[in-house]
Amino acid sequence: MSEIKRRDFLKILGLSGAGTGLVGCTQEPAKKLIPYLVQPEEIIPGIPSWYASVCGECPAGCGVHVKVREGRPIKVEGNPEHPVNAGRLCSRGQAALQGLYDPDRITGPLRRVEGSEEFQAISWQDAEALLVERIQALRQSGRSDRLYLFSDSSVSSLDRLFDLWLGAIGSANRIIYDSFDVEPLREANRLTFGLAEIPRYQIDEADLVLSFGAGFLETWITPVQYTRLFASSQRYQAGRKGRFIHIGPRVSLTGTNSDEWVSARPGAAMLLALAMTRVLVAEGRAGARGAAIRPLVEPYTPERVAEATGVDAETIVRLAQEFAAAPSCLALPPGVELADRNAAAAHVAVNLLNYAAGNIGRTVRFGPNVLRRRPASLDRLAVVAEAMRSGAVQIALIHGIDPVHTLPPALGFADALENVGLLVSFASHMDETAARADLILPDHTPLERWSDHQPETAVHGLMQPTVNPVFDTKATGDVLLSVAGQIGGDLAAGLTWPTYLDYLRDSWGAVHRDFAPFQSFDEFWREALARGGVWREAAAQPVTLNPAVSGVAFDDSTLDGGAAEPLTLLTYASPNLYDGRGANKAWLQELPDPVTKVVWNSWLEIHPDLADQLGVRNGDLVTVSSPAGRLDAPVYVYRGIRPDTVAIPIGQGHVHYGRSASGRGVNPLTLLSAATDRASGGRAWLSTRVSLAATGASVRLVEAQGSADDHGREVAEAITLAAAAEADRHAIEALAQNPDALVEASEDADPKSPYRWGMAVDLSSCVGCSACVTACYAENNIPVVGEARCAEGREMAWLRIERYYEQAHGDTGHGPEHGNPSHEGNGSAGSLHVVHLPVMCQHCGNAPCEPVCPVYATYHNPEGLNIQVYNRCVGTRYCSNNCPYKARRFEWFDFEFPFPLNLQLNPDVTVRQKGVMEKCTFCVQRIMKARSDANALGRDVADGEVVPACAQTCPADAIVFGNLRDPDSRVSQLSRSGRAYHVLGELNTRPAVTYLKEVVRGTEEA
Amino acid sequence: MATVAPPARTPLSRVSRDIIGALWEPDWRYRTMILVLLAILGWAGFAWVYQIKTGMGTAGITHPVMWGVYITNFVFWVGIAHSGTLISAILYLLRSGWRTTINRAAEAMTIFAVMTAGLFPLIHLGRVWYFYFLAPYPNQRLLWPNFRSPLIWDFFAISTYFTISLLFWYSGLIPDLATIRDRMKRLSGRMARFKERVYGALALGWHGSDSQWKNYRRAYLYMAAIATPLVLSVHSVVSWDFAMAITPGWHSTIFAPYFVAGAIFSGIAMVITLSVPFRWALGLEDYITEYHYDNMGKLLLLTSLIVGYAYTAEYFMAWFSGDQVEWESFVWRATGDYAGPFIVMVTCNVLIPLLCFARKIRRNIRAMFVISIFVNIGMWYERFVIIVSSLAHEYIPGAWGLYTPSWVELSITVGSFAWFLLWFMLFAKALPAISITEVKESITEGVWSPGDKKEGA
Repeated sequence: MSEIKRRDFLKILGLSGAGTGLVGCTQEPAKKLIPYLVQPEEIIPGIPSWYASVCGECPAGCGVHVKVREGRPIKVEGNPEHPVNAGRLCSRGQAALQGLYDPDRITGPLRRVEGSEEFQAISWQDAEALLVERIQALRQSGRSDRLYLFSDSSVSSLDRLFDLWLGAIGSANRIIYDSFDVEPLREANRLTFGLAEIPRYQIDEADLVLSFGAGFLETWITPVQYTRLFASSQRYQAGRKGRFIHIGPRVSLTGTNSDEWVSARPGAAMLLALAMTRVLVAEGRAGARGAAIRPLVEPYTPERVAEATGVDAETIVRLAQEFAAAPSCLALPPGVELADRNAAAAHVAVNLLNYAAGNIGRTVRFGPNVLRRRPASLDRLAVVAEAMRSGAVQIALIHGIDPVHTLPPALGFADALENVGLLVSFASHMDETAARADLILPDHTPLERWSDHQPETAVHGLMQPTVNPVFDTKATGDVLLSVAGQIGGDLAAGLTWPTYLDYLRDSWGAVHRDFAPFQSFDEFWREALARGGVWREAAAQPVTLNPAVSGVAFDDSTLDGGAAEPLTLLTYASPNLYDGRGANKAWLQELPDPVTKVVWNSWLEIHPDLADQLGVRNGDLVTVSSPAGRLDAPVYVYRGIRPDTVAIPIGQGHVHYGRSASGRGVNPLTLLSAATDRASGGRAWLSTRVSLAATGASVRLVEAQGSADDHGREVAEAITLAAAAEADRHAIEALAQNPDALVEASEDADPKSPYRWGMAVDLSSCVGCSACVTACYAENNIPVVGEARCAEGREMAWLRIERYYEQAHGDTGHGPEHGNPSHEGNGSAGSLHVVHLPVMCQHCGNAPCEPVCPVYATYHNPEGLNIQVYNRCVGTRYCSNNCPYKARRFEWFDFEFPFPLNLQLNPDVTVRQKGVMEKCTFCVQRIMKARSDANALGRDVADGEVVPACAQTCPADAIVFGNLRDPDSRVSQLSRSGRAYHVLGELNTRPAVTYLKEVVRGTEEA
Repeated sequence: MATVAPPARTPLSRVSRDIIGALWEPDWRYRTMILVLLAILGWAGFAWVYQIKTGMGTAGITHPVMWGVYITNFVFWVGIAHSGTLISAILYLLRSGWRTTINRAAEAMTIFAVMTAGLFPLIHLGRVWYFYFLAPYPNQRLLWPNFRSPLIWDFFAISTYFTISLLFWYSGLIPDLATIRDRMKRLSGRMARFKERVYGALALGWHGSDSQWKNYRRAYLYMAAIATPLVLSVHSVVSWDFAMAITPGWHSTIFAPYFVAGAIFSGIAMVITLSVPFRWALGLEDYITEYHYDNMGKLLLLTSLIVGYAYTAEYFMAWFSGDQVEWESFVWRATGDYAGPFIVMVTCNVLIPLLCFARKIRRNIRAMFVISIFVNIGMWYERFVIIVSSLAHEYIPGAWGLYTPSWVELSITVGSFAWFLLWFMLFAKALPAISITEVKESITEGVWSPGDKKEGA
């Protein structure tokens, strides 16, 4: 028996005490943190490294900076120097991290178990050996052309390697695929100007933008760039604002930002553009250019097209006159979703309108062209499918695309894949195509690989790995080179690069010679890597009218379906999910659709009148039937769609593709036939009519917003241009008298503090794209809760965008024609005005949440921030009840970040425990960082040094953050604007967030 | 267990025999009832543990309705707690003799209701394991609770009320405890000795001397005087949880008197609801008679009219203020998604109690029982309507949302009734449910005697 000494006793006491403490506490005990034993030179724990790269989420090719902490990418931000996106990103770009850390990623090479749906893991060596063996067999039999390679349309070194490799194999069957091709536009430009290119639309230089439906703020060509350009001319500044008229059957997200919506029948763009051109020509407004095109447009009088387009002649004439009278103008084509069987002709018509108005070379600029490889047409794909069915395709390699999900089943492509001898997928995620593959050789995700991308003529983006591959994946370029090496012979002789990186560097030799011939390559390469690529302004290409344009047949487009199908079906790219590739990212699923605010689902948009007729409400299931197929979709009643049209977003309806995507929503492609534009072979999305039948059943359609009407509470405010200018004049006068005046909210901080942080949100800039919301999720470790929890109202977004149908208030009687938005019927002057209102914690100076907290978990800090102390919070939720903005969110559960999504968590932000309240912090971690940097230099934080995640990514630059105590800061200046207002200001909460009223420019306002 | 059968010589000894006689030997019905209550309580306990373990999301409360059934229950039970002190203290001060037979039970009800109410702020906490953050205790962070928060006022108001009510109840019990102790002395057996010791200890050496009576009466009077303002203060403070917030539908100066009246209203109703089965089960029909229900009916009617007035005044003020948000909020309360609860509330609290204008109904115990049940339901819904419909429809229309209670909330709600009844059942068998002293006093003073259905001559 041993005696217990006093020291032992104390030790035991201490240990058991600590043990009891741990048992009593439900928080997880702290885990051991192990520092680097030998610290890598370039990594300083706690200090992020930034790597420049290119976003791989869509073909736009935006430049990104990837924030890497201790070897893990935790945030993607726009590259400020990059000419495409100038530092901004959309929500899909922000969500690239969730592609990297997708918990359902393919973790290594897989081989299908013979005659089964299952896959089995194999080693890279075996996988490549298998491919080598099959290719060799094919070559020996002399049928190398039976190897097909499918890939996307981006212009890159990998794309050239594909060609090289395929050429060396001896096959010419390179199939380029683009789910949202812009071939009608390219063809129209060839027909009109003899140049088969995609020009740059200088939306920023147009005083009047007239769009025939292109979703240029959502997915069309290069949306982040277009949003930036759009905002720069369409936001209100110094008494001026551009005017945007949206013509089309549906108010898309882009359409919600219009000053006027002209409701036109689907497919009416061509006739409207022709008639408007005719007005211009007839009234002599087209000058000398008119003569050349007069014979083309002569037959299309406004009166003649009024019936077919659903727009009355008067409106057409007014629009044409307005267009011609504008100091600068731009007409945008119907884009992808409204491309019908005569899309090229419609694009030609729009080209003619631009030509007549003298826009070519001004707002439509050739030279800095958007580069995309020409994809195979659906007709060509049908031939390929036929070849597959006949067994003429022995090996098919598929990289970077998901044709099974993005092609209409009517084409038979998916079924034909079954007859391919060896279907090899390079997918990183188990998409619908990969799920049918015999062999999966997973590629790195864009954030893990070396690559490049040339989105515009003189823009070469360079991608570098920002992280060691999370899983056992291998770059496809390396696989191809390795396979070539293993096959040997002539194949290896042409492809001698040991790794893809060597090939890439070699491939950049041409860029080097072009951009910096007098610099050493290594230096050039290093600089290009650091900058994210090289670029310059491309020289303009002058164009003239192509005589061939006179041969264009402006025929009517045809739609599938007869009298039994009375409604036109519009399928459009989901702004969140693009063609469906975003569906595996929970952030994008949980991000409310900017227009309908629906999450995690598909829906069928129908006009209220049609809903009444069918006797259905939101969420009621309706059977949609077209000649090609049928599906059941829940109804979403939407005032912004014509009664003769229904719309379904593209993007959902996955069977595979991970837990977030599979079994969710519908894929509207089921309803489409393999229709193409006659002239260009591009896809015709607007190609069928449908009929609807109520099923009597209904499902839960989760909308993230309560009422869409602000009930006159002045929550979301819009004013006319005249009223804005008037208010501005007063504000400028007031400011002239007292230039150092500060806004009231600046008082709400410690008198000794140099800062009172505040924010200004310009609603005339905000387009509602919701990139800020996803950026906030990424920066602040906001958990995703899933559809069921969203239905309960438990989504955790600190920043939400509320969408209100709003009328513009103003003094002038000549405001925009915003009649009763819901019952415009078929009238051409249908209008619907929408205000997108980003709502986050307002950091009130007189915050209602603060006095009610019994434990001081929320309080006002000396810099005017409304602070939430998670450790102090006991969860009475009183603060949320008393928050008039309802900006607070509560941790209802311990939400999970399934591996490896947890690797994305920002170490500078607490992962909150269940039972605590949270909310927007103005990215306090960024404020702290800027302050500590400034302190180290012995100065105050300068304006622009603190940029919260939302403001950082906003493509429209609608959110400005800064110090309200500095009269010269941007936020102070904006907050003193004549349009400034506080949401619910009458409650005397003294918010630090100032909103600037949306401005609507009416017909007669210039 | 020995049955106490006091000799029936005088009416006074009959009083002791009747009241004390009700205490002993629980029968099978009582035991079954206790088991049922324990089972319900166990289930509710499970639900609570599940909620703590999984998170508050297991309850139906959500954005924007962050308070729901739990706070409804809290206010409801605090309200129930009001009648006890009212009946005991205020009626004592007003020398209303009829209170004597119901004050003990009403006070017990008060204490158990506060004990029930006090659970809900804990149940509703997101991190209940840190509940002590709400208490002003010395800590290393030198942090005190936020005395500006109505929730802290609540903490003090409720704990004060509980303390005073408990002391008041206990002081009233002392002479009775001594009576029981003395009865035990006559009995033999270990159990009797044990009881003698327990009741004796609780009786604090009471032996009924003149000086003791003198001091006792004085102390009881003062205590009544101290308790009286609490009747008004507690529910005023509870109402400020709402009135101090800027939520439309909550932010109103009428809330304090409105809530106090509502509390007394619901408290009286609960006294009626409980006393009817209680007098039957314990065989005390002669002690609680039509006479008492008549008087309680009048109180019920008075407070119902005040509550009805408050409802009307609220609407009038919402309209008269010209505050658009406030008015829309009130219109929605009556016509929106929670119109059902609103109709229940008005019917049960304003319309049905109007029956009490009729003397016949007031003196019909069955009718009063039914009316009291309606009032209980109505008052629960009143709190539900105030809390939920206000939060669901606040300033920002885009953030409007609805709330439906989950099984966890309903289980705990039902469990709270079980918890309350369990205590009450234990009380009925352990302590004299009617004040022996005061009843005897009434008889000797000729105010009233058992079996009287009218006020005595």
